[in-house]
Amino acid sequence: MALLEAKDLHVGYRTFEGYLHVLNGVKIEVDEGERVGLVGETGCGKTTTVKTILRVLPMPPAQVQGGEILYRGEDVLRMSTHAVRDLRRREITAIFQDPLQALNPMFTVGTQLRDILKDSKAGRDGGRLTKRDIEKRCIVALQETGMPDPERIMTNYPSQLSGGMRQRVCIAEALSREARLLLADEPTTNLDVTIQDQILRKLDELVDEKGTSVLMITHSMGVVRDLTQRLYVMYAGSMVETARTKELLACPRHPYTQGLMKSVPRLTGEGISEGIPGRIPNYLEPPSGCRFHPRCEHVMPVCKEAIPPFYAVDEDHFAACYLYRS
Amino acid sequence: MPESILSVEHLKKHFPTKQGLVRAIDDITFSVAPGDTLGLVGESGSGKTTTAQCVVGMYPPTSGEIRFKEEQIGTAFKRRPKYVKGDLRIVFQDPGSSLNPKRTIKQILSIPLKVHHIGTQHDRLARMKELLNMVELPADEYLYKYPQAIGGGEKQMVALARALATNPSFVLLDEPTSALDVSVQGKIINLLIRLQRELNLTYLFITHDLSLMRNVSSRVAIMYLGKLCEIAPTVEFFERPIHPYTKMLLSSIPVVSDAEEALKPRKAISKGEIPSPVNIPPGCSFHSRCLARNGRCAEDDPAMVEVAEGHFVRCHAALESELSGHGPA
Repeated sequence: MALLEAKDLHVGYRTFEGYLHVLNGVKIEVDEGERVGLVGETGCGKTTTVKTILRVLPMPPAQVQGGEILYRGEDVLRMSTHAVRDLRRREITAIFQDPLQALNPMFTVGTQLRDILKDSKAGRDGGRLTKRDIEKRCIVALQETGMPDPERIMTNYPSQLSGGMRQRVCIAEALSREARLLLADEPTTNLDVTIQDQILRKLDELVDEKGTSVLMITHSMGVVRDLTQRLYVMYAGSMVETARTKELLACPRHPYTQGLMKSVPRLTGEGISEGIPGRIPNYLEPPSGCRFHPRCEHVMPVCKEAIPPFYAVDEDHFAACYLYRS
Repeated sequence: MPESILSVEHLKKHFPTKQGLVRAIDDITFSVAPGDTLGLVGESGSGKTTTAQCVVGMYPPTSGEIRFKEEQIGTAFKRRPKYVKGDLRIVFQDPGSSLNPKRTIKQILSIPLKVHHIGTQHDRLARMKELLNMVELPADEYLYKYPQAIGGGEKQMVALARALATNPSFVLLDEPTSALDVSVQGKIINLLIRLQRELNLTYLFITHDLSLMRNVSSRVAIMYLGKLCEIAPTVEFFERPIHPYTKMLLSSIPVVSDAEEALKPRKAISKGEIPSPVNIPPGCSFHSRCLARNGRCAEDDPAMVEVAEGHFVRCHAALESELSGHGPA
C-alpha cells in the first residue's frame, strides 16, 4: 500500500469573478521510503496540491469538489480536525519556499524549535519530551543541517540569519520530529545556486539517514533529477506524465513535457527552443478535455472532448495523452 | 583586445550605511566589443545589478571610468548627453514593476519617443506598431491593452520594445528572464538573439543562471563580492574554468542530462556563504570559502592576469599551478 495516495482530486476557488477550477483530477502516489518529485510551471496548482494534502488550504475560498487523499489508507480529507493535527504533528511535515514566512519573526529560532518538539509527542510511549531531551534534540537537529554554532543560532531571531541559514532552520524544524513524509514546496527557489547545492545535498543526506519519504515540489528540472526517484509533471491542474526521474528527463513523451524539456537551457550549449506557444489557461473557463490541447501541436478531435487517462508508454512510464492510446 | 563599445575601468561604487561602508563594486574593469554579448554572472549581493545601474547612470560611480563609444560617461546622469541615454538602454528584471500599470502599452511606448523627439505624432504611432511587430506582438491587439491584461513574457517583450524605441546600439539586460517560466524564457531569449543579429545590438546580459549564459553570451564574466574573478570567451570558460569560485558555481548547477553532468568540475564542492559586503574578508575576498587557498590568499588581493587569449583570472593559487604546468586543484 502506498504511504500517500491522492486520487482524482478536484479543488477550486470561489472568487468574485467566478469559480476557478484549479485541480482537475490530480493523482499522486508516494510509497514508503520513496522520493517523488512534482514539477510544473507557475500557476499549475503545485502549491494547491500540497496545501490540500496538509489540509492548510483556507476554505473558503478554496473548495474540495471531489477525490480523496489516502494516508496509510485513511482519507485525510474526511479526518476530524483533531486527527489531522495529530497527523501533522507526527507523520507529515513540510518545508516551504519562503523561510521568512514560515518562521515567526517575533520569536527566536530556539523558541520555535522547542515549541515544535514540545508539541510533537515524540517522547517515550508517545508522551511528551523532557526539557533536557528537547534541548538536546534542538541542538542535534540544527547540527545535522550543517549549521555552525547551533547554541548561538538558537538565541537568534530569523531576521539575524541569512536566507540559506533560515532555510536550514526550517529543515531542522521539519526533520526534528522524525516524520514519515516530508513535503518540500520549492525549498531552494529563493537561494543562490551554491547555497542551493549545499542545502539539497544536506537534505538528501538527512532524508537518506532517517528513511523519510519525500514529495518534492519544484519548477526546476535539475533539482529533481538529483533528489528524486520518480517524477510527476503537472500542467494546469492535472498530471500529464509520470516515470522514473532520469528516464522522464531523458525521454519525455507528453507533448507538454517535450516542449518544456526543449526550453531548458543546457550547459552543453545547443541553444534554446522557442518554448511552448500560448500560456497557461485561465481557470475560470479552462479548456475542455485535455487542458493542454489549445497549445498542443498534435491536437486531435478527441483531445477536446475528454480528459485523457494515463496510458502506459513504457515500463513504469505513463503519459496522459491520446497519442499513446493504442 | 578588439575595439570596444563600452569599457569600464577601475569602477568603484561604495554606499555608506549605518553598519559601515558597503563596497558594492570594488574596482572592476571590463569591456564589451560591438555586436558581442558579455554575460555578467554572480550570486545575489555580488554587485551585478549595481554595475548595471552605474553603467546606465542610475548611480554616479564613486570612482573609476565608464566610457561609451570613446565618450566619458561616468558622471552624474544629468550631465550625460541625451543621445547617450537613447543609445544605451536597459531592460529590468521584473516587467510587472517596470511597466506603469496605469498606462496602456501605447502610452508606455510613446514616452521614450517623446523624450527623444523622434518623429511627429503620426510617425510615432507607426513606429510603435513597428516596435511591437519587432518583438512579435500583434500591434493592433496590444497597443491599447494595460500591462495587467497580458502575461509575464509579453510584458517583458513590451519592456524590450520600449528599450528599443530609441534605436539603441547597446542594451543592458538585467536578469530579463529570471522572473519567467522556462517555456516562456525560450521565446524571449530567441527574440533577443534574433534582434541582436538584425539590429546589430551589443548586450550586457546579467544573470545568475550559468546554463542560460552558455547559450546566450559570447563572453562570460564572473563577479563575486564586488570584484570580477574570471573573464573568458564562453566556450573556453565552460571547457576550462580556472578560478575556484567559478568551479564551485559550475559544480552547483542542477542539470538535466548526463552529458551536462560530465561537464561539471568534480572536486569543487560548494561550501560557506557569501560574506556580508560590509566586512569583506582581507586579501582575496573569496579565500574564506576557497578550496585551493594558500598562505598568500588571506593577505594580498590577487591581480587580474591573462592566462590565455581573452581569458583573465584573479587568483593566486590558480596562477601558481598554471605556471607550474599542472591544472589547478
